[in-house]
Amino acid sequence: MPERRILLGVVGRPHGVRGLSRVVSYTADPASLTAYGALSDDKGRRFTLRWRGEGIAEIAEIVAGKPVPAADRSAAEKLVNTRLYIERDRLPPPDDEEFYLADLVGLQAIDADGAPLGTVVAVHDYGAGASLEIARAESAPLLVPFTRAVVPEVDPVAGRLTVVPPDETMVPEQAA
Amino acid sequence: MARSVWKGPFVDGYLLNKADASRASGRNEIIKIWSRRSTILPQFVGLTFGVYNGHKFLPVQVTENMVGHKFGEFSPTRTFTGHAADKKARRG
Repeated sequence: MPERRILLGVVGRPHGVRGLSRVVSYTADPASLTAYGALSDDKGRRFTLRWRGEGIAEIAEIVAGKPVPAADRSAAEKLVNTRLYIERDRLPPPDDEEFYLADLVGLQAIDADGAPLGTVVAVHDYGAGASLEIARAESAPLLVPFTRAVVPEVDPVAGRLTVVPPDETMVPEQAA
Repeated sequence: MARSVWKGPFVDGYLLNKADASRASGRNEIIKIWSRRSTILPQFVGLTFGVYNGHKFLPVQVTENMVGHKFGEFSPTRTFTGHAADKKARRG
């Protein structure tokens, strides 16, 4: 089974003439992009990053075990749009009751009887608790709160989670 | 301009009735509402509402910190999911 990789950022345009690049970080804390060690790209090359300013980094390709920084602007231009990944195994284990979004998205949702409900396609959190969006084949997506009552079992290794969909009550605006 | 204090917080009346009924029933349910303008009151704490954002009903689990805000604040109408990267979700 191929190793799972997670996209953490992408290299942007060069900054200045000394080989620095703008880097867009997708991590929760943008500065933590450098916290996971060497990053790899789509071609299998490995890089290390060192921040030199807000959103600006010195990128060094690891060649024969040694980091070789981009020497000038031309070298930095060749890195534009390079997508930076890490292997999933290198993320630290989450706390109890916490799950990486990368682990949740793509899980198969089943109901309490084991019947398939759909696939988790997104995790939303707008300040009122996380919720899962489950795409279904023949009906509209199902949105459920990510609580122990509604999602009692999450098994990323097996690739599925159990959902007990709550009852839904419509309260139309005209009701008095 | 701020709303006059003497009026009290605005809330659609039918929400109060529905919240009372839901709390009394003790069922695990989502109360789907369109009323984004209603203020979140202390009696809503612990309930889960599905607040319409023009597209879908986003689950809103009401906690004490949300009292005084409007339901619509927690159900944005324009969303960008972004990349998962190392972000985490906590199960409530």
